[in-house]
Amino acid sequence: MSTAAQRFLQDAAVKSADLMHREVIRRGMDSYDAAHLKGRARIKDWEAARQKCQEIKREAINHLDRYLLQFEEKVIARGGHVYWAANSEEACSYVKNLAARFGVRTVVKSKSMVTEEIHLSPALEQAGIKVWETDLGEFIVQLRNEPPYHIVTPAMHLNRGQIAQLFREKLDPAIASDDPRDLMAVARRKLREAFFAAEMGISGANFLVADAGVIAISTNEGNGRLCTSLPRIHVVVTGIEKVIPRLEDLAVLWPVLATSGTGQGITTYGTLIGGPRRAGEVDGAEEFHVVLVDNGRSQLLADAEQREVLHCIRCGACLNICPVFRHVGGHTYGTTYPGPIGSVLTPHLNGIKEFKHLSYASSLCGACTSVCPVKINLHHHLLQNRRNATEAGATKSSERMMFRAWRSAMLHPRIYALGGWSMRKALRILYGLGLAGSILDPMRVWNRYRSPVPLPSESFRAIWRKDRKQDRRKNLGAN
Amino acid sequence: MVQTKEAQTEKAHVENASRDGILQQIRAGLRTAVPEPAAIGSEHVIFEPIIFEPISNPLERFQQECVSNLMECALTADCAASARQLSEVLQPLPEGEIFVQDDPSLRRLVEMMTELAASTRAIRWSSEGAPAEAAQATVTLAEALIAQTGSILVTSACGGRGASVIAPCHIVYATTAQLVPDLATALGRVSQERIFDSNSFACVISGSSRTADIEKILVQGAHGPRRLVVILQTGS
Repeated sequence: MSTAAQRFLQDAAVKSADLMHREVIRRGMDSYDAAHLKGRARIKDWEAARQKCQEIKREAINHLDRYLLQFEEKVIARGGHVYWAANSEEACSYVKNLAARFGVRTVVKSKSMVTEEIHLSPALEQAGIKVWETDLGEFIVQLRNEPPYHIVTPAMHLNRGQIAQLFREKLDPAIASDDPRDLMAVARRKLREAFFAAEMGISGANFLVADAGVIAISTNEGNGRLCTSLPRIHVVVTGIEKVIPRLEDLAVLWPVLATSGTGQGITTYGTLIGGPRRAGEVDGAEEFHVVLVDNGRSQLLADAEQREVLHCIRCGACLNICPVFRHVGGHTYGTTYPGPIGSVLTPHLNGIKEFKHLSYASSLCGACTSVCPVKINLHHHLLQNRRNATEAGATKSSERMMFRAWRSAMLHPRIYALGGWSMRKALRILYGLGLAGSILDPMRVWNRYRSPVPLPSESFRAIWRKDRKQDRRKNLGAN
Repeated sequence: MVQTKEAQTEKAHVENASRDGILQQIRAGLRTAVPEPAAIGSEHVIFEPIIFEPISNPLERFQQECVSNLMECALTADCAASARQLSEVLQPLPEGEIFVQDDPSLRRLVEMMTELAASTRAIRWSSEGAPAEAAQATVTLAEALIAQTGSILVTSACGGRGASVIAPCHIVYATTAQLVPDLATALGRVSQERIFDSNSFACVISGSSRTADIEKILVQGAHGPRRLVVILQTGS
């Protein structure tokens, strides 16, 4: 078992038994569920909206080269810069060099999962640059030295008491209130200094609009607006798959993203930026750089089954509905992208051997697929990843042997019957000795936390035979 | 001219070693055939389904959506009424400068307001620079109002990027003639009018800034304005 898999199992066991965590997540998810359903009801034909979003993204991904070049051309024509980064190192060193060239000492960041993926903040901090996360949730997890718990609401695993305590420790011991309004006000005051001091603002992008040559950012707090308005340099770090063909596509994508992400009809700020400050404009960054990160994405295009994974718009709906996520929580996954989409994507980005266990962190119930706003067949992809891992020989020899034995038993009824008989006998003795769930129990995985399923006295085959005999007798009698 | 542009692009690409490699990999990947979803037969009529409820009364819808977006919308009959409204919004605000987009219609509005009620409040016009950090309010125009989502569309021309986000209160002066039914119309207009040929920035704003990052509890007024006020004038 990979170390990542071992850690996953340990953390999952701890988290699912953590009552405080369960309570915080339950409350958070309940309020999301209510808002999400209300939001969906505002759209006349939700299924048609999903269909439309799927078509938009499919068209974009199937012509990815053309749309990226169109986007690039427009941005360059306006005096912006576009940098293509094959991997994390290239992306990070581009931003680092840029910061060095302009003598940047302070950076303000708005939320961007791609910057988490490439570990940009640690890279900048190593270079002696102060990085401020400015989204409230991101700010909180940054203060805790933690990765985001969830791709949309990074601090949803914490309650107000924990956050107030954190702020007292890290910002101001005099903070008395734990009212979310007061905590927001504390963060606002602190971060406002950073906004006006920073030389560089780093944002992500929800979409890259090819025909208009603009980036689109959806934010509610306004931090994304400030990051892209005040500092002299604006750097956008995003994945190559974020491109969409037309500006008008946002007329569907924006409401669908907001509905799936938070249940809002539309996000408060839908910001579109196409380049640096123009002559005659009041304000805006003088330098505008877009870093297009590949980091394994282009390889997914060649996967006929899973190319559509690149349609993802990172709304977080599949995390919210997933019964596994709701029990084990976001950090347990140990990946940048948690939940169903992360379990599908991570083996592609970080290696199937190390992360194949994530394909099993699912009951294949299909809830994720049913809510995905771009209709990605998520649970089928998890199944395909299981198959891919097996075919790639990423399974243990003991597992392969077990399955070989199982196969031959299934093909030889006598061996199967013998196996069933001896298992019933052995388990009866074991349970009789009170060893159910112990290390000796082959059913330990189930029995550790549950009372054992009662053992039948006879095999299914025996019951079947008896019933058939009875039926025959009955039929004879009737005749 | 074309050559210089190409040369410029060429130069930018020299510094980007991975660009061609990524493009090659994308093109190689796209050569893999992916089964398209079942095509609709020619005997079927292909129609675009109606995704959003059609909007019959844009003004009414806009007002409804303003309520759910927690923004204020004040209907006024004429310029004088708008000036009164503006004065009412500004008066209770704490001491401090007001930032106003430098536009003839707003110059006139501010003039009328000062005639109505003598005010000593300092005004910074957008032609004098970006809004100060301590600005108490910003007053701008909008390019359009979107009924479907209760949104305002602003661009760099509306006093710049910071004008709609820096101060705790953002006031938008608009007329009902600027109402468009939905997002598709508004975005279509941005494309047709080639807004990005002359603006580096545009934003669809639907309410005041907010967060629900702590226990999913809505807090109005995060990093941006706590109040968004639309003074919506029906007459000229």
